[in-house]
Amino acid sequence: MYHPRDIIEAIAANLRTTRNPFGIPHFMVNRWWRKSGLTTGGDALLFTGLMYQFIPYIETSTAYLAKYEDSPLNAYLRYARYVPGYFSGLGLATITPGREKRKFDRILQDIVKLLKASGVDFGYRPELDRYSGILLYDLGDQEGFVRHARWLADRLRKAGVKKLITVDPHTTYALKELFPEYTGARFEVHPYFELLRLKGGNGRRTVALHDPCFYGRYLGLSDVPARALADLGIDCAPLDRSGAYTHCCGGPAESISPSLAVEVGRRRLDQLEATGAPIVAMCPICLGNLRKLGADVQDLSSVLAETLQ
Amino acid sequence: MTRLSPDFVEEMKRYSHDTALACFNCGTCTAICPLIDEHFPRRMIRYVQIGAKDRILENAPELWKCLHCGLCTQTCPREANPGEIILGLKRMVVAHWRKS
Ligand code: SF4
Ligand code: SF4
Repeated sequence: MYHPRDIIEAIAANLRTTRNPFGIPHFMVNRWWRKSGLTTGGDALLFTGLMYQFIPYIETSTAYLAKYEDSPLNAYLRYARYVPGYFSGLGLATITPGREKRKFDRILQDIVKLLKASGVDFGYRPELDRYSGILLYDLGDQEGFVRHARWLADRLRKAGVKKLITVDPHTTYALKELFPEYTGARFEVHPYFELLRLKGGNGRRTVALHDPCFYGRYLGLSDVPARALADLGIDCAPLDRSGAYTHCCGGPAESISPSLAVEVGRRRLDQLEATGAPIVAMCPICLGNLRKLGADVQDLSSVLAETLQ
Repeated sequence: MTRLSPDFVEEMKRYSHDTALACFNCGTCTAICPLIDEHFPRRMIRYVQIGAKDRILENAPELWKCLHCGLCTQTCPREANPGEIILGLKRMVVAHWRKS
């Protein structure tokens, strides 16, 4: 286990100086939209919060962290703020494979496809699509989180944004629940699957849908993605631990203890595998952590988008 | 020996909702917690109740094992909100580290 103080201070320093928890320049992280043909207008703004884009970097960085966990070398992390290397900055950006980045970019492109096929009127403004700060909130750096959230809320307000379409549970929770409480900014926030109006599909099948804690428990939204799947002929296999009682994927532990993330994730994976159905996740953290354990996990958006072909 | 701070419950109001005193130590949170630890998070809540701030600071890194998954809060029979108390303790410890 790493000392939480070192991890928190490294992330807080990155967020303060670059507005990015890993210290990677914005234009390098957020490139998925370039060929999407999206315009800046529309009734709602697509807001990814960059979580999907971060996963390849998190994977690279935790692979290194896991190597040195509980070894004397973990003391080096204390200097990560000054040494761009495996933990942050351009060093991390360079050692993260492009193939992995493209895999996660495709998820966002699928979400765009689904929204367009549902006739949703929306636009995208890459300069406004920034990180919500949620990791600092979860780690207990309340001061750092509130400072960053106010900065972002202010930018969105000044740009006249009223309605946001989100793509992951952590950013959705931050914008829906935390921003009103800590910044006073209230936006109309919809996870993308709430807006889908698709029917049909290409034959009935069953999947094991893993509810993330923030959708299942904190926001009580599990039945919405299940309905979007059912509308396209895809059923969800019954799971003992789902909805408000869903079991965590273990991912949130990975910055402090990669081994704990594996341990908790393994327990969740056993429950999902017991259904015998293909596993589907709808959160970048869950997707990353369950895949790291060797499971073949698809994102909800990919499963839905397959039926459009 | 553990030094008790009688004002600790009051101090914690700065960091999270004031729910620790509702806890009657039943251990449901510990039984359901995906960390499968013998005492977490129940013992931390107990430390808050009795004002054992020193004990919390000594064992502080343990707080960051918590995934903030909310399962304990969902199942607590007393609505003591254990998950949010743990988050509040993280905030308290971060503030303490930054001061020292
Ligand atoms: S916090 Fe709730 S579940 Fe945990 S020991 Fe106290 S009363 Fe029981
Ligand atoms: S919120 Fe933390 S303490 Fe509560 S069940 Fe989840 S991991 Fe355990």
